[in-house]
Amino acid sequence: MTDTQKPVKDMTTDYDIFDPEFIKNPYPGYTEIRESQCPIAHTERYEGSWLPTRYDDVVAIAQEYETFTSRQILVMPPAAGRSEGPYAAVGAPPITSDPPDHHWHRRLILPVFAPQAVAQYEPGTRDLCNALIDEFIDKGIADAASDYAQHIPVRVISKMLGVPLTMEDEFTDWVRGALENITDSERRMKSFRSIVEYFIGEVQSRAANPRENDFITELMNTEVEGKKVPIEYVLGVCNLMLVAGIDTTWSAIGSCMWHLAQHPEHRKQLRENPDLWPTAVEELIRVYAPVTMARIVDHDIEFQGCPMKAGDRVLMAFPAANRDPRQFENPDEVILDRQNNRHVAFGSGIHRCAGSNLARLEVRVALQTWLARIPEFELIDPSSVTWAGGQVHGPRKCMVKF
Amino acid sequence: MCAIAAPDVFGSDEIGNAKVLITGEIPAALHAKVRRAESNCPERAITIIE
Repeated sequence: MTDTQKPVKDMTTDYDIFDPEFIKNPYPGYTEIRESQCPIAHTERYEGSWLPTRYDDVVAIAQEYETFTSRQILVMPPAAGRSEGPYAAVGAPPITSDPPDHHWHRRLILPVFAPQAVAQYEPGTRDLCNALIDEFIDKGIADAASDYAQHIPVRVISKMLGVPLTMEDEFTDWVRGALENITDSERRMKSFRSIVEYFIGEVQSRAANPRENDFITELMNTEVEGKKVPIEYVLGVCNLMLVAGIDTTWSAIGSCMWHLAQHPEHRKQLRENPDLWPTAVEELIRVYAPVTMARIVDHDIEFQGCPMKAGDRVLMAFPAANRDPRQFENPDEVILDRQNNRHVAFGSGIHRCAGSNLARLEVRVALQTWLARIPEFELIDPSSVTWAGGQVHGPRKCMVKF
Repeated sequence: MCAIAAPDVFGSDEIGNAKVLITGEIPAALHAKVRRAESNCPERAITIIE
């Protein structure tokens, strides 16, 4: 029997983040752990991990980057062969970097994602959302996840990277292999290799013919302390753009669509009061935080009474922290004008999501464009909605009618 | 987040870090926006001195 097939005995000592029921709806399980005597749960599954669920604990761990390192960031151990071969040194900087390198790894990409820098992608994102809606608006039904949400971030990221949109299906497949179906370690390794090999080709073509105003060319030409950045860094950032920029935001958009399909009052509020958008986007991202990241414990430490050993994995349950009643009033309720919202959907501390401003823009534009053209819509059959979970949580099939 | 909540007061520097764009007292018209930036900053990096 594999780890995923054994029934869970006790959430605090035997949780399974790949349990089919938990994938569908993880929130009752998070609440059970958070409100128990043991708010930092532990499991032996998948070679063991800790699961802090309270806001303060998750934030404290995120801030303590020397104790809780980013040597590995997936919720499972690395795939066999990941640390060998020619691509072993390719990570996903700066997510996978620790100080001191983390500093320049992050510094080089931050300007690209500053609010004023990502604003240039708004018209293009709106156009692509409209083009997607054109495909199905006359049919009166659509899959809000696979006909809409899924196509938005991959196209925005392809445009940013300066690679052809024809790669959409491959990128989507690789990212799912790297993040969603991660219990299949062979597929995970194959996806990683495909990503690296694809970008080796892109780097070689730019080495021969450098391009103007091109993200990858500029990255290749960047110097740190008088030397060009290593090729592994360039490939790593491209890898990051795919794995961190596609599945995550698509999951967030999908969850927002799933929510709005069931809440006519929220659709109405957003239509009638456009000033709500900034707080509404934050609130939806808080409630449906898609991402869980991991840390590796550097040295033996007792944290909140838990005896953590060097090498232990800690899962940063941002979705659980974002619904901690100690931090948020009525945490399970979506309040579109919530005023105090220090949510950690984008993490916290030095690894805080570098692309958060782009993600916010994509979520807002995707929802605004849909609501402008399809003001009223509803789920066809709530029980037919399917979900991905574990590292990234969001709907994968979500049929709606209008 | 602050740059979205109060874009007249917060922006980012050339390397993408958040920074305060204005000096001295915050005009009264911007108080509500600045308060929202403060109460939504996940890093608790904003302090309002009254």
